[in-house]
Amino acid sequence: MGNPGYKYFKGEDWIDPTPPPSDLPAVDEVGSTGAPLKSASFFIGSVCQEYNEDFMLCKDESRDPKHCLREGRKVTRCAMDALQKIQSKCQREFQMHWQCLDIKNQEFGRCREPEKAYNECLFSAFGWKKAVPGAPENRPQIHERIPLTD
Amino acid sequence: MSNPITQDLPPKGGFANIRYERRLPQRGPGGVAMFLICGGIMAYGWYQVHRGLDERRELEREKIWARIHLTPMLIAEADRDEFRRKCAAVERERKIMEGVPGWEAGKSVYLGSRYAPDIIANVPIHQQPGFKDK
Repeated sequence: MGNPGYKYFKGEDWIDPTPPPSDLPAVDEVGSTGAPLKSASFFIGSVCQEYNEDFMLCKDESRDPKHCLREGRKVTRCAMDALQKIQSKCQREFQMHWQCLDIKNQEFGRCREPEKAYNECLFSAFGWKKAVPGAPENRPQIHERIPLTD
Repeated sequence: MSNPITQDLPPKGGFANIRYERRLPQRGPGGVAMFLICGGIMAYGWYQVHRGLDERRELEREKIWARIHLTPMLIAEADRDEFRRKCAAVERERKIMEGVPGWEAGKSVYLGSRYAPDIIANVPIHQQPGFKDK
């Protein structure tokens, strides 16, 4: 913790250990790092689309964090559920893909080979299909193009 | 003097024609062919350029949508943390200002109802009584 070599700016000082108000329902945090989240992002986006859109519409009403706690809990639970589903059926492919993203600067274009196996596994397990919204429809999507870009 | 004056005259029948036109052997493709070849090279190059631009645009689109799909989850998490910290800060404020009559802990400094985030981060050690004197 803290910035190395800078003892006057301690990260520990910014921690607030106070628990949230007890009248709020408890919800676990996703607690995932960037690469697994990015790897799962399109599936979280498609599975949790209703909750996500509901939450963003709520945020559009008011920026107050208190205003959308209920919708936010649903969003978090849905994302965790999607991640757990991926872990349960396609753990190896998921791990190959997000570890590739981790070492390749989180660029999808440089992890097409693991992604292919990962997408196929998820499609056969749950019927989830990765689709980039707004992509031109007369051409295959970027992750389905042959040859896959390295 | 039987030698008559002779004038310098052309030979009988006149001089042969001087070939002043440029007569180089025909080498390589002609102008139209050159134009077409260069045009073909250019067309292939532009085709590749546009393929690359298209791929880059689609990669960018993919990246942006990956972030868009994650945004609600990240905002929800940050909101819960912000709300928790705000509640803790209000509680600290209430404890500090206990003895002051008419003080409302957590009351907005603005008159409007629009939400305004705290300008100063709610850090516990900064919000202890006597912190500034240390």
